[in-house]
This record gives sequence, C-alpha cells and structure tokens, in this order.
Amino acid sequence: MEELLFCTDIQLHHLNKIAQDIASNIQPPCVVLFKGEMGSGKTTFIKELCKQLGVKETMSSPSFSIVNEYQSGSKEKIYHIDLYRLTSIEECLDIGIEEYLYSRNYCFIEWPQLIEPILPTVFFTVSIKKEQDHTRTLLFSKSS
Amino acid sequence: MRENVYILAIESSCDDTSAAVSCNKKILSNIVATQEIHKKYGGVVPELASRDHQKNIVPVVDAALKNARISLSQIQAIAFTRGPGLMGSLLVGASFAKSLALACRLPLIEVNHMKAHIMAHFIEGEKKEPDFPFLCLTVSGGHTQLVIVRDYYTFELVGETQDDAVGEAFDKAAKILGLPYPGGPLIDAYAEKGDAQKYRFPISNMPHYDYSFSGIKTAFLYFIQEQTKQNPLFVQENMADICASYQACLTDSLLKKMMEAARQYRIKTLCIAGGVSANSLLRKRLQALEETQNYRIFIPPFAYCTDNAAMIAISAYFKYLKKDFCSLQVAPLPRLEIK
Repeated sequence: MEELLFCTDIQLHHLNKIAQDIASNIQPPCVVLFKGEMGSGKTTFIKELCKQLGVKETMSSPSFSIVNEYQSGSKEKIYHIDLYRLTSIEECLDIGIEEYLYSRNYCFIEWPQLIEPILPTVFFTVSIKKEQDHTRTLLFSKSS
Repeated sequence: MRENVYILAIESSCDDTSAAVSCNKKILSNIVATQEIHKKYGGVVPELASRDHQKNIVPVVDAALKNARISLSQIQAIAFTRGPGLMGSLLVGASFAKSLALACRLPLIEVNHMKAHIMAHFIEGEKKEPDFPFLCLTVSGGHTQLVIVRDYYTFELVGETQDDAVGEAFDKAAKILGLPYPGGPLIDAYAEKGDAQKYRFPISNMPHYDYSFSGIKTAFLYFIQEQTKQNPLFVQENMADICASYQACLTDSLLKKMMEAARQYRIKTLCIAGGVSANSLLRKRLQALEETQNYRIFIPPFAYCTDNAAMIAISAYFKYLKKDFCSLQVAPLPRLEIK
C-alpha cells in the first residue's frame, strides 16, 4: 500500500523546511528512494536532508563511487547510494546492496528502479517532478 | 648505496582490480584486470563488483609478479589502497594484502588513493619529476580536487567539488546526448572537430577554490531539451559543436580556479592527475600556460592517469623509506580524506 504523506512545490528558499519535514518523518532503519529525472535535484535534496540530520562532512554525488557514507548528528550511519551506473540487479547484488538495505541505518537511494524487487516491506519514496515552467513538485510517500 | 626495495601493490578501490611490482621508483609491472586479464582468459571481465575483484585478484597479482620476473620471496613490502573507494571493493584488496603480508611476514603499507594519483608523477620514466611545492588538479569520475604538495609527504587540500565530479559532468552530458558510458572520452573525440565558441553553459562560481558541476549538467539538459523541441535532429546535426562548447566550459572552470589558487599561493609548478587528465583540451590548455605564462607543467603518462596499482606502489615506496608501516588492524575507509 502506498500512502501519500505530502505534496509540495519546491522553491529554493524553503528547501530546508521540506527537508526538515521529511527528516522528522523518518528514523533508522529506513530506506528512502529518490526518483526524478537527471537534473531534477535529487542529489541537492539529499544534501539538504543530510544537513538537517546533522551531517557535517562535504557531501558529493555518489554517481561514480556508488555509495557514500556519512554520519548524522546523533552518530547514526547514512548511506547515500546512487545506482545510476549499474545496469542489472546482479550488479546491485554484487556491490552488496542487500547489506546496505537491511543494515538498520539510513539508506538514501537515487535511481532505485533496478532494486525494486528486493526492497524491504516498508520504505519511503521522494519523487521530484519538473513542471513545464521549470518549477518542481515534490511528493513524499510511504509504502508498507 | 641504498639496497633495492621491491614492493607489491594492490589497488581495488572501484571498478578495476590492479596489481603492480616496483623496484624503488621504477615500475616493473602494472596489471589492470579490465584490460590484461581479458586477453588472457578470452572472456569479458564485467565492471564493478567486489565479487569480480575476488575473482581477479589472484590472477592479477600472479601476472604482476610474473611480468616483473620477481618472486614473492624477493618482495619487501605489500601495499594496498585504504580509501577512498567503494567499501566492498576496498575490502577485497585490503584483506588480500593483509593475508599475504601475514603469511609472508612482510610489512604492510596503506595508501590513500587520492594522494597516489598525485604520486604517479614520481614514477621513474621519460618525464622529469615536478619540483616542490606544486599545485595538482586531480580530476576523475569521482573526484575534483586542488591540492598543494609541499614534499613527498605533505598534502594540503585547497578546494574540491561540492557536488558532482567533473568526470561525472562529462559522463552525464554524454548520456543526455545518447552516447554510451563512459562518455567523457567520446565527448573529447567529437569536440575535436567542433566550434567551442558556439554555445555557452553557465558554471556556478563557488567560494574560494571549490568547484560545482551539478548546475552545468542541469543547464545542459534543459538546453538540449529546449533545442530538440524546436529541431528533433538538433543533437545529430550539431554534435561536434555541442561537445566542443561543453568541454570548453568545463575546462575553463577547472583552469580558472586552478590559476587563481596558483596566483594566491604563488606556485609556479602545476600538475594534473586522475582519469580526466587524459582529456586532450585540458592537456593542451595547460601546456599552453608553459609557453605563455612561464608555468612549469607536468602531465602524467596516460597509463598512470586512470586507476592503477603503479601509483600505489610509488606512494608505498616513499612510505617504506620512512618505515611508515601499518598494523593488520587497519580497516579500509570509503571516504578517507586527503591530509
């Protein structure tokens, strides 16, 4: 079952407010999928979300490294995963995706389409949609 | 005279499994699984998997020793990449190196992958070594860093990307243009015949010497979508000009910060390292600075630009001279920083 938790326009000046709302809805263990086409702002939004969770390090895109690991303000682990470069579920399994998914930490995943069959029963989805006029809409939902 | 130091080095931070054997600053062999092992086994070695590293590591190390004509008993230290990289991949190299060091009772040396890219400049060969201090721009699919190197052991990070690496900006633009991964080299190839002045793409100006390449990627996407709406054949008809213009914008941005940092820190020796340093425009533009502005420029040979164990071996050699060994307890660090 998918339940829409909220839907909002994104404007840069309140990006931190939206991230705050999402941060207050999730706690580890949790898997959050980030969907949206290239350039829609997935990485930018995850950076903001991590900031709200108290991450202090420089957060860069994991498109090349596949997985970045950060530490939240309350010392929990955050995995920032980007499956963009992978082409099959076997490759995902080879990098040990299950260990991240079921690690009991925060797991933020960009380009998650390949691993939909092996997701835990409960997970969240953040979808970022670009509208005609280049504004963006963000949908936050929970599947269980 | 100092005795010869033979080191076996292992690199497995990302896609490629690699092993090298060095004698002092000379590389005796440098095997990279994605290329050499193919030929040997006839099959295709799939990219990117810790399980593939596990499969490759023994034949790769074996081949490195054989090609160097060195037996394991002559090796004086084992080196491995501690990070940064993908945890699963790093673990394979680290575990293998530790086991071998333990079994052969050899000292173990951990190496920082990002420092190693820079240290590749000290591999003995046709090219001269850069003189200290120098400023190095390390550019790859995963990293964009400006580092001041004061001596073989002192590295100072002065700037880095706050989002996408420049290699990612190349690869994702290539994807938007419908080119296969990794698209950076293809953009380089198309750009050769294009007009670099035809289009402009905005580059975010970050404070200090930091970089940002996520905005230009998005601007590029919008631009292509907009143009394709008016002319569905826009990409096909203008491929060379698009690639040339985009590549020029990225190169401008890389060099602008590098020159600012060079002036600020009064450094006259400039180096590049990492996979993107294979880019022909970046090489050409840097080389030009040698003639026009009296900088000394150092560009590593192609073979040592992408990930390889030779650069791990040369880094380990300098640590060996200082007896800077590590214990078997040392764990890989996926986000090991340069310090």
